[in-house]
Amino acid sequence: MKISFVSTNAISQTLRYQMMRMQADLVERQEEMTSGRLADPGRSLGARAGFSFSMSREVTRLEGLVDANSLASGRLSATQDGLTQLNTISQEMLSTLTAAMSGVDDTAVVQTSAKRTLETLTSVLNSNLNGEYLFAGINTDVKPLNDFSDPASPNKAQFDAQFLAYFGFSQSDPAASGITAAQIEGFLDSVLEPSFMGTGWQAAWSNAADQTITSRIAPNETAETSVTANGDGMRKLAMTAAVLTEFLQMPVGEEARRTIYERTTTMVGEAIADLASTQSQAGIAEKRVEDASDRISSQIDLLKTFVGDLEGVDPYEASTRVNALLTQIETSYALTARIQQLSLLRYLP
Amino acid sequence: MSLTSALSIAQSALFNTSRQTSIVSRNVSEAANPDYSRRYAVLSGAAPGARISEIRRAVSDVLFRQNLTAQSDWQGQATLSRGLETLKINVNGIDNASSPATMIGNLQTALQTYAATPSNRTLAENAVEAARQVVRSLNDGAAAVQALRSDIDRDIATSVDELNRLLAAFETVNEEIVAGTRARRDVADAFDRRDALLKQISAFVPVSTITRADNDMVLTTTGGVTLFETVPRPVTFTANHTYVAGMAGNAVYVDGVPLPAGNGGNTTASGSLAANLQLRDQIAVQMQQQLDEIARGLITAFAESDPSNALPDAAGLFTWADGPGLPAAGTLENGLAGSIRLNPAMDTSAGGDPERLRDGGANGAGYIHNADGAASYSDLLNGYLDRLQQPMSFEPATGLGASQSLSSFSSEAIGWLESLRHEAARGSEAKEALATHTATALSNETGVNVDEEMALLLELEHAYEASARLMSVIDEMLATLMEATR
Repeated sequence: MKISFVSTNAISQTLRYQMMRMQADLVERQEEMTSGRLADPGRSLGARAGFSFSMSREVTRLEGLVDANSLASGRLSATQDGLTQLNTISQEMLSTLTAAMSGVDDTAVVQTSAKRTLETLTSVLNSNLNGEYLFAGINTDVKPLNDFSDPASPNKAQFDAQFLAYFGFSQSDPAASGITAAQIEGFLDSVLEPSFMGTGWQAAWSNAADQTITSRIAPNETAETSVTANGDGMRKLAMTAAVLTEFLQMPVGEEARRTIYERTTTMVGEAIADLASTQSQAGIAEKRVEDASDRISSQIDLLKTFVGDLEGVDPYEASTRVNALLTQIETSYALTARIQQLSLLRYLP
Repeated sequence: MSLTSALSIAQSALFNTSRQTSIVSRNVSEAANPDYSRRYAVLSGAAPGARISEIRRAVSDVLFRQNLTAQSDWQGQATLSRGLETLKINVNGIDNASSPATMIGNLQTALQTYAATPSNRTLAENAVEAARQVVRSLNDGAAAVQALRSDIDRDIATSVDELNRLLAAFETVNEEIVAGTRARRDVADAFDRRDALLKQISAFVPVSTITRADNDMVLTTTGGVTLFETVPRPVTFTANHTYVAGMAGNAVYVDGVPLPAGNGGNTTASGSLAANLQLRDQIAVQMQQQLDEIARGLITAFAESDPSNALPDAAGLFTWADGPGLPAAGTLENGLAGSIRLNPAMDTSAGGDPERLRDGGANGAGYIHNADGAASYSDLLNGYLDRLQQPMSFEPATGLGASQSLSSFSSEAIGWLESLRHEAARGSEAKEALATHTATALSNETGVNVDEEMALLLELEHAYEASARLMSVIDEMLATLMEATR
């Protein structure tokens, strides 16, 4: 009677099965060791694989946002730069005007300064970044400011028409020398100012849209990340420069010129204040974008840590397990060979 | 008298030994056959000498039945795991690379990039291209799901044929055993064959066995439906050649009773048929519903609206067979994942304009939001991005959360499949171990050990030698007696 029994088939089956298990395990551990991540995250994590997936996807999305934010930041800092230039030129204009009013009346100096202001204004407002006009609002494919110095441009034509309509003669007419201070006041108050500050600006001067570019700076936060050329500061500066360039060309009388100086000085002063406020708004937007990027970056780090915790494998542990498995498999090979040799047949004559 | 009887005893011993040797040789030759049960001779004393009263088979009913159940369970689990693996690879791809969720993520990123620089037409193309990938992923996924269903259907049909064939073969063998047992014939080989058939049958359906008089066997499924009783019961199934979303498959009938499908990732399915039914009617169907709901979510999230609210909302970036109308909110639309496509009005390769994504107007001028055509208009794009994150309602039958954002719905779909795979992996580990263990235990109980047979052979050799020696001694004695009387 036998107590225990083992069949020859079972011995070889068991050996084979164990060997297969170990080899399958080895392949997975080896993959984990080299990649530092679970061989089949889905199978190991189960339902949590969905979290880990959506976190990885969120990381990609947030990284895209950071990239987009750097674009907005670039636009804003270029805008800041442009606004600073406008500010500087306005300050210069202001000091030239102040000097002119305080007696040193050299028309040519003021005129040059006005022309320079107009040129700078045009070039700054028409500046371009990555093929987009910075100050065009959302209308970034159109040059925002028409060139006043070009006789064919609509703003020049509008000015000429307005002048002709008010005074009854054109700027080059000798009668211009007879323009009185009161007439100038009237022209500025009743024609130019309403036109510049109202619909005339967008009709002839600016092609920019009022709506500024809205950027998504965080997953659920948007910010206006551009400045439009339709701001009050720009309009006032343009009006100052236009009035000075045009009227100083004409042989206007002393008194009329004084009025022009007085009025434009006030206007430049206002323009400077308006520009400063625009600048601070842009600064706030810049800061918001920067903050959002910082926030997102730390969020990305956090999410990456989570994903790493879920899917990651300690490479040392994996390598230890691979080594252990290798030893085990080698032992198993040796044993298999020994066991297969172990047969009564070998000892029978 | 006594010398003659000694001679006849020695003779019968020789005969016994050679019979036993033949059994040993048979055992050794079948050592590697897992369906073979070891035979052994039972000797009984009979005057004069001993004789082999019967040849027995080593059997262990308990282990055999355990092994059958374990095999059925493991087959079921293995079938389910294979099906899940196919779904995972064909729908979600390796590392979920081709899953709708990944593609939606890519679309989101592309839209985000485009929204940051809406004046860039290349980025518009890029976003539309990402949308095309989403459509492809959904179309391919839906096709893969239905292909899997029809593959499984074919597999079920083949399995049912095979099962009927096995049951017919079982009938023959069972008859042989019953007849043999009644006639007191040696039916050990027929028993082996019957056990082998049982193992094969249990791969398809879980079987319980009842042994009646004369070793007649009755087979029932674990659910109690008779599979075989004197004659095989018909297993019937009508196959469908193709499957479309929302189409139900036919049941497998055993003796007129439908076979229940399995349930869960660590499946309750025993045998490949139940697991196949579970895959075809539950898992693949649910997966299709999830894809359909993702498609519906996309069409809804990217729907165009009339800025003046006069016209009804219409399908935007994504449209479908019944477009430009929108699918009903919160209601499953069967097969939508297969019919969703990119709106040709935004598709450059179909003559469309990708910048309609920024401006609106895929359904005509009434839907244009960016009336001035401003190059950096981003409101619509940002709106789409918002809508992907806003909760919407989904069909609860999909097995996923009924109210959540499209983005999280799509990633939950991945979690759903992975959790099934996770459970299936755990289940198959346990079931495989059990199946191997019971097979080993059964083999240890009923299998052949060559060493033992060799030892037996040595014993027999000696017995044979002794008997032969005895005969020659008796021969000599008789010769001496003859000599003396000459």
